[in-house]
Amino acid sequence: MATTSASEPAAASSSQALVAALGQPAPAHTAFAEARFLKILDRPLVVSGQLSWLGGDKLQRRVDRPWQETATIADGEVTEQREGKRPRHFSLKRAPQLQVLLDSFVALLSGDAARLQQVFEIRQSGDAGSAWTLNLVPREARVAKTVASIRVDGIGRQSRCLYMQEADGDLAVDLLGPLAAKMPAEPTRAALQALCQGTP
Amino acid sequence: MRPRARATLLVLWLLALAGLGWMVSQRLKISTDLRSFMPAPTTPDQRLLMEQVGDGPGSRLLLLSISGAAAEPLAALSQGLVKALQHDPRYSQVRNGNFDLAALDPQLLPYRYLLSSTLDTQPLDEAYLSDQLQQRLDDLSSPAASMLKGLLPRDPTLEILKLAARWAPAKSPELRDGVWFTPRHEALLLVQTVAAGFDPGAQQHAIDGIRQAFHALPGSAAATLELSGPGYFSVVIGAQTRHQADWIGRISTIGFIALLLLAYRSISSLLLSALPIASAALAGIAALTVAFPEVHGITLAFGFTLLGVAQEYPIRVLSHRRAGEDAVQSVRDLWPLLLTAIASACIAYLAFYASGVNGLKQLAVFTIVGLLVAGFSTRYLLPYLLPRRVRDVADMGWLVQARRWVDQLPRPRWIPLLVAAAIVLMLALAPGPFWQNNLAALTPVPQALLLRDARLREALGAADVRYLLVLEARTEQGVLALSQTLQPKVDALVARHAVDAVELPSRYLPTVALQRARQQKLPDRATLDNALHTALQGLPFRADLFQPFVDDVETARQLPPLTPERYAQTPLGQRLAAMLVKRDGHWLGLGTLSGVHDVAALQALGPDSNGTVRLLDLKAASESLVAAYRTRILQALLVASILLVLTITLALRSLRRAWHVLAPMTLATFLVLAVERVAGIEISLFHLVALILAGGLGLHYALFFERDTGDPAEQRRTLHATLVCVLSALLVFGLLAWASIPVLRAIGLTVSLGVAFHFCLSILMAPHARSRSGSGGRSEKSAGGGQISDASPVHSGSMDQEAAEIWTAQMDSQPGQPRPGRLQSKTDWAALIPHAGAMCLLDAVCMWDEHAIHAISAGHARADNPLRGERGLHAVHLAEYGAQAMAVHGGLLARAHGLEGARPGRLVSLRDVQLFEEYVDQLDDHLDVHAECLYVDDGGAQYAFRVEHRGRLLASGRAAVIHPHGEPVA
Repeated sequence: MATTSASEPAAASSSQALVAALGQPAPAHTAFAEARFLKILDRPLVVSGQLSWLGGDKLQRRVDRPWQETATIADGEVTEQREGKRPRHFSLKRAPQLQVLLDSFVALLSGDAARLQQVFEIRQSGDAGSAWTLNLVPREARVAKTVASIRVDGIGRQSRCLYMQEADGDLAVDLLGPLAAKMPAEPTRAALQALCQGTP
Repeated sequence: MRPRARATLLVLWLLALAGLGWMVSQRLKISTDLRSFMPAPTTPDQRLLMEQVGDGPGSRLLLLSISGAAAEPLAALSQGLVKALQHDPRYSQVRNGNFDLAALDPQLLPYRYLLSSTLDTQPLDEAYLSDQLQQRLDDLSSPAASMLKGLLPRDPTLEILKLAARWAPAKSPELRDGVWFTPRHEALLLVQTVAAGFDPGAQQHAIDGIRQAFHALPGSAAATLELSGPGYFSVVIGAQTRHQADWIGRISTIGFIALLLLAYRSISSLLLSALPIASAALAGIAALTVAFPEVHGITLAFGFTLLGVAQEYPIRVLSHRRAGEDAVQSVRDLWPLLLTAIASACIAYLAFYASGVNGLKQLAVFTIVGLLVAGFSTRYLLPYLLPRRVRDVADMGWLVQARRWVDQLPRPRWIPLLVAAAIVLMLALAPGPFWQNNLAALTPVPQALLLRDARLREALGAADVRYLLVLEARTEQGVLALSQTLQPKVDALVARHAVDAVELPSRYLPTVALQRARQQKLPDRATLDNALHTALQGLPFRADLFQPFVDDVETARQLPPLTPERYAQTPLGQRLAAMLVKRDGHWLGLGTLSGVHDVAALQALGPDSNGTVRLLDLKAASESLVAAYRTRILQALLVASILLVLTITLALRSLRRAWHVLAPMTLATFLVLAVERVAGIEISLFHLVALILAGGLGLHYALFFERDTGDPAEQRRTLHATLVCVLSALLVFGLLAWASIPVLRAIGLTVSLGVAFHFCLSILMAPHARSRSGSGGRSEKSAGGGQISDASPVHSGSMDQEAAEIWTAQMDSQPGQPRPGRLQSKTDWAALIPHAGAMCLLDAVCMWDEHAIHAISAGHARADNPLRGERGLHAVHLAEYGAQAMAVHGGLLARAHGLEGARPGRLVSLRDVQLFEEYVDQLDDHLDVHAECLYVDDGGAQYAFRVEHRGRLLASGRAAVIHPHGEPVA
């Protein structure tokens, strides 16, 4: 966190360079494993599958384990399809987590620093040459009411972890890419923190 | 009347009008609800129509679309509008697709276990809870988790969401940003008004509220709000009709004023003649506000139309004034006929009062009061205000020619037969149905609006406006029970695509019995705790997480079942209340239908349910109601006609004369009907009202044309007055006939045709205008005399022409023998002068004896003195005063000698006439007229006469008279 004291324009240009370096052409797919730490639960919930950026504002979140479910975000609407059930539709507005996920994930995958800048206040530590962390705070108050902040950890041109800190204290940690395979059966916040900060 | 008195009268009249106006503005409450103008319904369907149609859920729906921006701002506007309208008492329901848990009152949340059907098939046992909790766990890792997270502790089985799904419209439009959108990128909203759909006034109020709320939203300027639905249509049509009527009204008012100015060349006459009409309208409305709590807008519209008849009264007065005649006198002469016309109209409208239909009663009160006020103010107020000097229309050249032409028209006796035959033929050949029962056809909704309505309705799956499913039971609960048993049958029909969707009352509230049954199935706290504990084994949920759920279930076990009354406070309860109606100790449930494809299948629900369920076709019911209404009007018309025949016959005291008045009127009325029918026009209520107005006007034409005054000048005035009336009616209603809105066209065309036919037929069927030799009483003779006096400014010049008449004193059948003496009342000797009325110049005989007579007269100052010319009463006419004194003296003398029979006399010379004044009408006291017999024998007499004013000599001279037949004097 040595560079957090850097001046704002310098940070902006630096994060711009970092984000631009992350860009990939659509469609981009990455494996994920998610652990959710919810207050109403004694243990975290763990699911895994694949996240896909299909270009534009289309994002797909496919869960393969422990059950199968596909959620598609397109045109501001979420469609949830679960095995053996009728698809569910709802507005993206009603799922701020998804909105944040969309904004951060798509911006990172497409290397769209401007978009990221528009939606979040960005703090960066480290740079594209080594391990880095982006702290994103939603600018929109309505979104911030649900999602307090996002943290993305990465190394080089690879995003490895995505932390979504909800305003009510609940936390979701997504391990991305190769790291997804390393999700422990009974994860703890500390174990995941170590995984994300550790060397690949 | 002196100028000051006139001004006082005018001011008093205007003050009275202002007072009436103030009272009306304070008290008048206009109802626009079409139903209050309908007759009392007789069939159950009609009653339901009257009570419910306007109120029915379908007809109270407004469909809203917001367009012109991107999806996100449109959705925000949609949400903002819902928020703004949700708690407005004008709307019972506001929906935009976004289910809001607030739709269910938080206090009512425990009721979810009684409202949802889950417990019917599934007890809240361990197996069910275990399965549900597992599913919730899955949900928590899905993207929707944040939506559910808050719900779980209280509602792990998601009953609230099940209810939301149950209450969502069967066919939902596409959701974007959480709100409904049409395929054309418009945000959609449904608003149900509390006000009835057929109440344009209340609908206007509701629509204004929506527009205001919309315009108050940030960002609304860029977007467009459009409305649709029955209530909106009634507002649009009302506004369009009013706009066009106003526009036409303005043009025809200008034309009308121009016509009257042209006809009478007097602005003051024009302004003053508006007073009776204004008084009539104000008095009519004032009477309505006293007699009825609310006045119907249609009553006023029809009433003002019918009051058009009253414009005739002042027009008649203006046209019938003779040169120099006092307006009071000319009104007095017209009054018997005007009174007949007013009385006939009023008596006829009484029949409308007896019809029992509230709107018609109001119409009767309004028109009768209005006509009476217009008539009596024309008679007793207006003439005192009219200018003293007017032009006698009788002298206009074109009018003389027109009258001559009219008089020369052939009047064959077969005209009525021919017209009647034509009427029968035309009616027989007329195409299409006779009656138009669909009132809406007269006020068609613009095609573009209909198309948009169909599009939005399709997108929303909104309720059909035409059909309603009616469930009848003895109690509210009975209706709900019936609704519950009907649900599976209805579901089957939906599955068969007989109908797209059906919304029954039980959808929102199950019966108390069913709620009790569900309550019975709720486990007690210990059992539930146990089941929950077991179900939670192996799941990551926190142990005490579901305490609120356990509490709610326990609460639900103790709750009194939800009834419509308790429910009514919530938006959903209001939706239910709109579907449940109490009537005559019975309860009706109204099920709305969307997308009706198979009417027969729906109708079949009726027989299967022993008549407790039936499909109501609102269109059919409203048409049968209109037909019933028309029957009432026709019955009233029939009674009115009989009363009219009796009134006219009694007033004219002659069947033959009544025939001349009533036959043209009747034939013209039927001729209008026949011509419209041949033109393919279907006859509606509006046509009937227009026919009644035309009939009222026609009655006037016929009454005045039938009157034979034996006086060509008076006949010319009649023609003038009638022409002014006909032209003004044609101007006003002829323009209306060009309107694009059928209801205005119907009224305009019918009245125009009617006026034209009435005019032509009453001229052609009037008795032949006779020359002055016709039969006649005194009034006709006097009118003749007056006319000749008018025509010849220097009276003496016409003496010879008139000689045969002037001295034809009728001295027969006088009671008693008058004696020489003082002061004899006018009746004693008036008959001795061949003039009556105004032409009898002398007022009293003060003294007479064998040789001389002294009479007095005060008529010289009067504006209606028949001898008066443009500048006043010239002294040359004092010779006529002298001559009349001579005639009276001769007559009295002859009577004193016991002579019977007429004594024709001829004035042969007038000598030594000396005038000491030029004009005498300004003298304020009476005139003394003295005549002294200088010489008398069997063949004639010679008199000296003098006229004095307060002892001052005004005129003197000598006159000689001979009796041509040489009858003996004594």
